Amino acid sequence: MANLSLKSVRKAYGEASVLHGVDIDIADGEFVVLVGPSGCGKSTLLRMIAGLETITGGAIEIGGRVVNDLEPKDRDIAMVFQNYALYPHMSVATNMGFSLEHRGASKAEIAERVKWAADILGLAYLLDRYPRQLSGGQRQRVAMGRAIVRNPQVFLFDEPLSNLDAKLRVVMRGEIKGLHQRLGVTTVYVTHDQVEAMTMADRIVVMNAGKVEQVGAPLELYDRPANLFVAGFIGSPAMNMISGEITQGGFAAGGVTLPLPAGLGASGRATYGIRPEHLILADDGLAATVNLIEPTGSETQVAMTLGEHSITGVFRERISAQPGETIRVRPDLDAIHLFDAETDNRVE
Amino acid sequence: MKTDLSPRIKVALYGLMCVLLIPFVFPTWWMITSSVKPISDIFAFPPDLWPRRFDFSTYAQVFELQPFARQYWNSAYIAAIVTAGTMIVSSMAGYAFARIKFPFSNAIFMVVLLGLLIPSEVTIVPLFQMFLGWGMINTHWPLILVPIFGAPSVFATFVMRQFFIALPTELEEAARVDGLGRFKIFWIIALPLAKPALGAVAIFTFLHSWNLYLEPIVFLSSTQMFTLPQALTQFTDAYGGAMWNIQLAAATMTAIPVLLVFIVAQKQFVEGLAHTGLKG
Repeated sequence: MANLSLKSVRKAYGEASVLHGVDIDIADGEFVVLVGPSGCGKSTLLRMIAGLETITGGAIEIGGRVVNDLEPKDRDIAMVFQNYALYPHMSVATNMGFSLEHRGASKAEIAERVKWAADILGLAYLLDRYPRQLSGGQRQRVAMGRAIVRNPQVFLFDEPLSNLDAKLRVVMRGEIKGLHQRLGVTTVYVTHDQVEAMTMADRIVVMNAGKVEQVGAPLELYDRPANLFVAGFIGSPAMNMISGEITQGGFAAGGVTLPLPAGLGASGRATYGIRPEHLILADDGLAATVNLIEPTGSETQVAMTLGEHSITGVFRERISAQPGETIRVRPDLDAIHLFDAETDNRVE
Repeated sequence: MKTDLSPRIKVALYGLMCVLLIPFVFPTWWMITSSVKPISDIFAFPPDLWPRRFDFSTYAQVFELQPFARQYWNSAYIAAIVTAGTMIVSSMAGYAFARIKFPFSNAIFMVVLLGLLIPSEVTIVPLFQMFLGWGMINTHWPLILVPIFGAPSVFATFVMRQFFIALPTELEEAARVDGLGRFKIFWIIALPLAKPALGAVAIFTFLHSWNLYLEPIVFLSSTQMFTLPQALTQFTDAYGGAMWNIQLAAATMTAIPVLLVFIVAQKQFVEGLAHTGLKG
């Protein structure tokens, strides 16, 4: 196990720059998730850590050793790929022992390590099968088995659950997290799914357009997003964003005045952010016209129009209103977010 | 896909297929049956589909009139070497063109492909002069070297390149993480997965070499060195007339390996071509 340090890491393909200087310090044993929309550079960054992409600038250190120019095999990392990348012509056991075999381990050692990994992942009864004979979840487990078998310093996961159905994804999410808790190996995990990021990470790195937008613990990002992008990306359904102006009487925005906490020092144009789950049904609230109601059983999601703004609310209560009818809602004043209209950064 | 056809349509379809089969099957059937007929029965009209009398002595005469066993061996070992050589050269070249980034790789591949457009008749005289200079006339070297580094290998390289392009890059990346270098990735990961394409390459290379005719008649002059297609033309009487039944017995024996190759490997052949996108 080792810490991992990225210092001003840049990547460019010719004139096109895709990573503009990334700085992240990952502690020994930490589980860090890189999250962001497609094309934000998160997979490129992971591949640079793995040594599958060259580094245009900056330095990557694993365990205090700069690995910029080392081959993947010399970095002491293991990677789980999106499509599993199991060798189709080899059995599960051979797949899992492959890296050890090519690093000169003895047959006894390989057999012992493969058995150890197979026991942890519940793969013992599949060792003689071929990848084509396995289900998606089993393949995923074999890919993880291949990664853990040689006890690397860092695990790298590149969207490993994206090919699984929703139910299996939840199961495997738990298995990966459990594996990390058991082995304690430093892990970097790439996903575009913010639910995966929130549920698995010790810390999340939110990336956008080749830059790091914010690094922090999941709830820190949820409670105190540093800017509009993070606020919109973390949380599902996404945070309601309303542009307007901070005034003495509240937040004036398109035909409606939203309440603000007392003693707010800020003023001027801003974006008012309120998460759907932080809207409260209240008789003294603001009138909103219901557009669509989506009950999920445990909660009800309501799309509505407030003043000139389309917003979404999520309520624990069951709502009987029909589209076109009015309901009254108010924001939870302790959960309001304000962002500067020019910089998009959080206003305290 | 299963389709429900009425019995009448099925019968009509099978009937049509049988009729269409005749031009393909009849020559082979005629060759095999005529090889055991007395020469006087071969050109009987209408032709006999089944020999009235069987005369297997023609098969013995093939070996008496020509060093046929030696010629059979010549064809067999040349085809084997050409097949193995082409598989090695084309798989490595195809992998390089598909996977290794080097300057002008696409342009170079196009130049290599242009080799397919040049008919062998155009290059046969310069080749003859080249091999003459190297002292290789009336040896089997030209029949080995020309296909391995000529048009059949170019086509095989194309087939292998198309296959390797379709191979997921993640497999190779996983192998790099697992500790393999470029050659081992090719040898341990890519090549075993390319079996269908290699099978297709092996079949058409073997057939091409087995059926090679122009090059042997240009480069070889002694009957001991002849290959089978060339040997088949040698079964003539004192006046130059064809000894049909003996020639057809030799032709039947010549066709056996070809039939065997197709019967054994036709599935792999189709799979290999399907991977290259060449299947119609």
